[in-house]
Amino acid sequence: MATLEQTVRVPAKSPVATWVRRYRFELALVLPLVTYVLVLTVAPIIDTFRLSFTSADGGLGLQNYRAMFGSEVFRTAVVNTLIVALLSLVLEIGVGLTVALALNVPFRGRGFVRTVTLVPIGVPTIVSGAVMLLIFARSGYLNSLLAGVANLVSLLPGIDWTFRPIGLTVAGGWRTLLTVAVADMWKVLPVMILIFLAGLQSIPEELYEAADVDGATRWQRFRRVVLPLLIPFITIAVILRAIDAFRIYELALVLSGRVEPVLGTYIGTVYLPPTSDQYTAAAGSIVLFAMIMVFIVLYLRFVAARGEIRS
Amino acid sequence: MSTASVTGPRTRRDLLERPLKVVFPLWVIGSVLLVAFPLYLVFLVSFAPGSALFGDTPKLFFTDFTLRWWQRVIEGGDLVPPLIKSLTVASITTLLAIVIAAPAAYVIARLRPSLRYTIVIGLLVTRMFPEFAIGISVATRFAGWGLVDTYLGLILAHLIGTLPFIAWILVGTFETVPIELEEAAQLDGASRMATLLRVVFPIAAGGIAVASLFVWLYSWNEFLYARLLITNQNTLPLQVFQAIDRGSTQTMATVAAVLTLPILLVVYFLQRHLRPGALTGAVKG
Repeated sequence: MATLEQTVRVPAKSPVATWVRRYRFELALVLPLVTYVLVLTVAPIIDTFRLSFTSADGGLGLQNYRAMFGSEVFRTAVVNTLIVALLSLVLEIGVGLTVALALNVPFRGRGFVRTVTLVPIGVPTIVSGAVMLLIFARSGYLNSLLAGVANLVSLLPGIDWTFRPIGLTVAGGWRTLLTVAVADMWKVLPVMILIFLAGLQSIPEELYEAADVDGATRWQRFRRVVLPLLIPFITIAVILRAIDAFRIYELALVLSGRVEPVLGTYIGTVYLPPTSDQYTAAAGSIVLFAMIMVFIVLYLRFVAARGEIRS
Repeated sequence: MSTASVTGPRTRRDLLERPLKVVFPLWVIGSVLLVAFPLYLVFLVSFAPGSALFGDTPKLFFTDFTLRWWQRVIEGGDLVPPLIKSLTVASITTLLAIVIAAPAAYVIARLRPSLRYTIVIGLLVTRMFPEFAIGISVATRFAGWGLVDTYLGLILAHLIGTLPFIAWILVGTFETVPIELEEAAQLDGASRMATLLRVVFPIAAGGIAVASLFVWLYSWNEFLYARLLITNQNTLPLQVFQAIDRGSTQTMATVAAVLTLPILLVVYFLQRHLRPGALTGAVKG
């Protein structure tokens, strides 16, 4: 009994205990969040690392990775993920910037137009997938539109264009991946517009005037003044989007489905029944994480750094 | 005279000037169509007559209006139960997220800057991991704890994705609450808890409301954890997926419309918080 009392009393005098007592209010406030993040984020991540090096019979090693890289589906999924991510990024930055440039010019009704382009900012990913299915499926609106164009063209004498509908989502190859990238682009377009408008508004009016006084053409003004000043905003957009573009799941599940796997759908298929293979799924998600990290490091090291020096 | 000398050489050299004037209206209209037209399609398909066969998409413009699909989806039980589940999960997730993240964010906001930024960046780094890297092991754990197909399991999973993000937003909010106010309250004899509840949180209410909305929308849209953790009663996003999987275009469009509508309304009423200017500080900082 005496020893127990002692063990209780001794730490009460130690600096740690004094610190705990002094900050007990703060500690009580952060405790729920810290516990949550440790138990349901940090521990699972460590667990996934461990699982990825564990085989079904409990042995440790690289066998999951070796088996995975030996599989044709996995290798296709890796390449497809890269293609989709790059296509999405290029589309998102390109289209986002194009729209933002138009909305940065003062014109009547601009407030209304900005509202319209902003309101779909939280559209669910799965809805984006559903919408693109309505457009790109064999019976979708793109084919009706093309058929209409073909009919019109065929009215001209001497031209006979028989239109055959294309099922982009089941055709396979880059065309199917493009539908996934377009869906991703459409989903995040409002966010991109918002980021680039913020960037454009951060450029002082005097710089435009100075460029005009120096006789710069519109293109020169955009290329030499506007674009360099937008680099930090483009970097933010690229990093924000790259993480999500590599992790793409729902859109690929809905649009490229069974014809073109990406890493997200590969991991999902492997993990869910009937395969229920958590070891390979874990290894797959570690590879995905590595791809995201490599991309961000390369981007910051080569593209963003170079842009900053130039500007 | 001086204007002439300024515009003179420019008009001569700038080949883009004239085409830009012509193209500009088309550019704006194109932008609006690009964003809005796909959404229009969702509502069109859910309200336009047509056959239930997959691939029989209605004409591009409303020629006729019908509530048939809505009626069928509601009567078939494809809408109301998932709607209730999604609403419940999103609302409880939001409440818990604020209760857990707000007090912690307050403490983090009062730390010295270097420590504060380290913690905030640490929290955000967890968001860089693929959701699967966390989700796989969480789903396996939850299966062991009997949390599959429970509201609690899904709510706990949705908190994983939202806590770091809203803690980050709220740290920013609490930084703006002047510490002098707290000192004044304590001089007046308020306890620390009372100071927090009666002084700090009310001042931060705007930021907390915005953070709540982000959480609510995240949970409302969330797909991956729902797919990993649900086998019986779908949430709305899963219901859209199921309709796609079964190939019923109208059910897909109708459920998608229900999923989208609250978001459009919320964003419309909260536009002022989404001004481009609001982002400038965050990006440059």
